[in-house]
Amino acid sequence: MAVSKKILLVDDNPLVLEMMGRALAKEGFNCLKANSANEAMVILEQERPDIILSDYHMPDVDGFAFRQNLIAVPAYKDIPFMFLTSEDDNELMLKGINLEAVDYILKDTPLPIVVTKLNNFLSTVREQHERTLKELSVAAMALNLHSVPQKLPVIKGFEVDFWHKPFQNYPGGDFIDFITIDARYTFIVLGDVMGKKWGAWYFSFGFLSYIRAAVRICIAEGNFSTKSILQKINAVVYHDPVVNDVLSSLSLVMVDTQEASITYSGAGDLPLLYYNALHEELKQIGSSGMLLGLMPDGDFDEQTIQLLTGDRLFIFTDGIIDFEDTDGKKTDYNTFTRAVTPYLNQPFAAFKKSDFLQEKIIAHIDDCSLIHLQKTI
Amino acid sequence: MILLTNIYKDALIGAIQVKEANLTVSDGFKEEMTALIDKGNKYIVVDFDGVIYVDSSFLGALVSSLKYAIANQAEIVVSGLNKDVSGLFQLIRLDKAFKIYSSATEAAERKS
Repeated sequence: MAVSKKILLVDDNPLVLEMMGRALAKEGFNCLKANSANEAMVILEQERPDIILSDYHMPDVDGFAFRQNLIAVPAYKDIPFMFLTSEDDNELMLKGINLEAVDYILKDTPLPIVVTKLNNFLSTVREQHERTLKELSVAAMALNLHSVPQKLPVIKGFEVDFWHKPFQNYPGGDFIDFITIDARYTFIVLGDVMGKKWGAWYFSFGFLSYIRAAVRICIAEGNFSTKSILQKINAVVYHDPVVNDVLSSLSLVMVDTQEASITYSGAGDLPLLYYNALHEELKQIGSSGMLLGLMPDGDFDEQTIQLLTGDRLFIFTDGIIDFEDTDGKKTDYNTFTRAVTPYLNQPFAAFKKSDFLQEKIIAHIDDCSLIHLQKTI
Repeated sequence: MILLTNIYKDALIGAIQVKEANLTVSDGFKEEMTALIDKGNKYIVVDFDGVIYVDSSFLGALVSSLKYAIANQAEIVVSGLNKDVSGLFQLIRLDKAFKIYSSATEAAERKS
């Protein structure tokens, strides 16, 4: 990804603004220019620069007052700020440092040095950001927080396995869980919190907790309907201020080993792909439910499918059907259907090694998750 | 700016200015939509004409804008979905959450 270098220049002198703007643009900076602090505030409503470089001496609102105004607004407070000043005055600099200004640049500093200073500063910020992410990742590992299971459940007469690849190897918004109730019932959970990386990953735990709780509560009440489980989760998510701005898809499948059947309800998820071994045909199993938390009534349904030996079920998130060709990125469900067809008479392990899935690892378009369930006896 | 806005009759049309509506623009898009709703716009058309790919982060921003719109008695409709994007909307039932029009003008005129 190209390194973003958006800078907001604030100076009442149009000449300085123009010269600085041109010099920085040549160095790959995207320059936003403001003639005054007030104009800068208007620009900030629309754009978020990586750094602000502001003159100190300006009529009406001077650089210090401008800095103070920025500090007062939480959204602007953390944008790195540098003073451009013609004064080499210790007292002035001290005052600026108290205002959490990052640095000073004297106006007569040669432009190449200004550019180097800005570049150095921005790469320090980026390195720090990456270090923080790494630390967060280590902490998450240490806390044993996983949004995918560490082992596979044993389901009598069935074989279940999954394949999961997070976006750019960050933990992401996809989550998988297997909830074993008893020898008869196992729930398979696949969700996708809309978003990528940490933001989505964090919320995936919130959703997983609700889902686990809803499944357990319904079962405890003797309610084995995946539809009513989804209704319960949706009602909670819709009203919960912590997660109601974040939306998630969910595929919920209950495996009943006694009846050799599965019951499925979905919330804004992709249709499942069902392989009927007897007729050697693939069929999409769609549900009517909307994304969790979108509407007070998610319009959920449920369907039960009887499985015979050799029948398979594929449950997956949108990363599996995203791909990139010469025209750019695309989403097409049928790419998965076509890719899996030659593997239908082979074990799932073979498909895991297929070019199709291996290319997903290289392409890194989105989180990718795929769960496979097969009736073995 | 991710949206180029334009008033047409009583509708506000926001045309998405990027080809790939993804993670890098989704936060900005959400902020712009929130601002449009805060300004009191009651009928907003999000025009996808020219957009070839939409990822789940962007869809998340779109549906979360819809929730904000509903809370503010405003309506968001979409237009100009290409075949892939329109297919995706149907696959994950977003066609139940948004009215879909073929063009921004049709959306503004509420032609079914």
